[in-house]
Amino acid sequence: MTRKTILAASLAAFTLLGAGAAQAEDTIAVIVKATTSEYWQWVFKGAEDAGKQLGIKVDKLGTPKDDAAGQIAVLESAAGSKPAAIVISPTIFEALGDPIAAVTDAGIPVIVIDSGAKTDKYAAFLTTNNEAGGKAAADAVAQCIKERTGKVAGKVGYLTAMAGHESLDSRDKGFIDGIKAYPDLQLVGNRVANNEEAEGMSLTADMITKDPDLVGLFADNAQMGTGAGASIAEQKLGSKFCLVAFDSDAGEVEHLKDGSIYALVIQDPYMMGFGGVWYGYAAAHGARLPKNVDTGVGTVTKANMDDPKYAGLLDVKKRALSPYLGN
Amino acid sequence: MRSLLRRLPIETYVISFTVALWIALSLATPNFLTESNISNMMRQTSIAAIVAIGVMCTIVIAGIDLSVGSVVAFCGVLFAQMCAHGLALPLAALITLAAGLLVGATNAFAIGRLGIPAFIVTLAGLQVYRGLALLLSGGMTVGGLPPSVKDFARGTTILPNLFWAMLAVGVAVHYLLRYTRTGRYLYAMGSNAEATRRQGINTFRITMVAYVLSSSLAALAGILLVSRLSIASPSMANAYELQAIAAAVVGGASLFGGRGTVLGAVVGAVLFTTMSNAAVLLSVDPFWEMVLEGLLIALVVYLDNLQKRRQSGG
Repeated sequence: MTRKTILAASLAAFTLLGAGAAQAEDTIAVIVKATTSEYWQWVFKGAEDAGKQLGIKVDKLGTPKDDAAGQIAVLESAAGSKPAAIVISPTIFEALGDPIAAVTDAGIPVIVIDSGAKTDKYAAFLTTNNEAGGKAAADAVAQCIKERTGKVAGKVGYLTAMAGHESLDSRDKGFIDGIKAYPDLQLVGNRVANNEEAEGMSLTADMITKDPDLVGLFADNAQMGTGAGASIAEQKLGSKFCLVAFDSDAGEVEHLKDGSIYALVIQDPYMMGFGGVWYGYAAAHGARLPKNVDTGVGTVTKANMDDPKYAGLLDVKKRALSPYLGN
Repeated sequence: MRSLLRRLPIETYVISFTVALWIALSLATPNFLTESNISNMMRQTSIAAIVAIGVMCTIVIAGIDLSVGSVVAFCGVLFAQMCAHGLALPLAALITLAAGLLVGATNAFAIGRLGIPAFIVTLAGLQVYRGLALLLSGGMTVGGLPPSVKDFARGTTILPNLFWAMLAVGVAVHYLLRYTRTGRYLYAMGSNAEATRRQGINTFRITMVAYVLSSSLAALAGILLVSRLSIASPSMANAYELQAIAAAVVGGASLFGGRGTVLGAVVGAVLFTTMSNAAVLLSVDPFWEMVLEGLLIALVVYLDNLQKRRQSGG
């Protein structure tokens, strides 16, 4: 008897939950790579602002750390609640391809942001051209070396945050190709860290120990930029060394100010979240969307960091909506 | 001679191996034995060694502390938030250490009074404190700290300040373990908890000492890491617990309890720093570096067990 009561109660509860899910048409799920990073918080901020404009609910989802299996589970349960659309940044290119295709096949439009997945079954892809970003970093390293030594020559290296990530691999490829344009720049080293600031810091110091005549370094994400910047500051090499890093979290901006980082190659995560939700809403209402959208990259140095064009990119609190950067 | 070799503690072998590695490296590359590389390595080792010393204390009583990495991040974020909001540095540091102490006391209470296995309690802590670090920072990097925060870790007083911090911690904990009654009880409890209890020793108090030490030292490491990075990130110190356990075990601590020394934990940490330094200087593939470090841990524990079996057999 009691058991039956419980059964009835849970059935009622499920029905209620089901009723809740019926309102999910007004919900867009945003799934990021790692909720623990500032970059993805900016994506969420953009998504929330778009949600407010559209008067819809934005569910902020993701795993704390990069975790492909975990992200697939999040995607599947998000799809199960039948939202109007899903915005996702795939953790691993190969792994998320089929799950994203399955969601599209189930009739939920998917907007891919930041990193690609191995499928073409999505409504739109909003991303930084990471290869172009890597190339911009190479140009910034070259410009810095020229400013400080009068000629573009010497040894340079790069620091990779994690192995096997499509967006990071593209940045590194762009950087390597970019350096080739300068015949007197010699690429001597690459280390891979565990996406950990302190490890990036140690590796930077060790790379300079290995090649004391290293003149430039590219750090390919915010964690590496913060770590490498701290190492350059610790060794007081700021005025001699040419460090260029991707992204712009608080640690990197601080090192840009104190001169340890020469330039930051910045993307527009806010716009990926903002545009992702708008596109998701449009796709859910049957609009035809461009398949690929470049959200742009910019190079910020200490000289132009106070430019209003970049202020909102360096600090999301100063964000005033503007057209896509660089487009 | 052979019996003497057999009786030497495992630390001796690890120290010899580390020194041999140093000699090989100074022969292989001119950049190893330089002032800047040595002070870099001192800085790189210190924070890991401080965490390892704390974890070693829990291993000595046949426990474990898997929460330290998250506690480093949580306490680091707490410290940074207080500094960023204008709290005086010493006060912020004191409150952070108190928070670490409280974490350790909670762990010890759950283990000693509620009887939950240390593995489970601290595994829960690994999640809880990482979550709190994220909540406290809103998932963002905490920056904008006053310059005085950075001064300590960047500073040098003949040797890097971080190294002095490690030395002070090491000497204090070594004294506690070797020359106090509490220290002897820690080892006794690790060898045989039941017998220790029957002798009328308050094992809950001993559990408290071990876990409070571990968490407080993790809190100290959090402060030092923030000082070094000049920011706090909720994702920092990821998997530090595993590094710390590896350093303690390579330095002769037994996961079955009753054995472990400060010197061993420090040497273990130095060895791992040397290996990653060597990997860069000799351009060893970073993936191979991980494989080699893992094999080293297995080898040391195997040799240690072999030695113990021979001792008890002979």
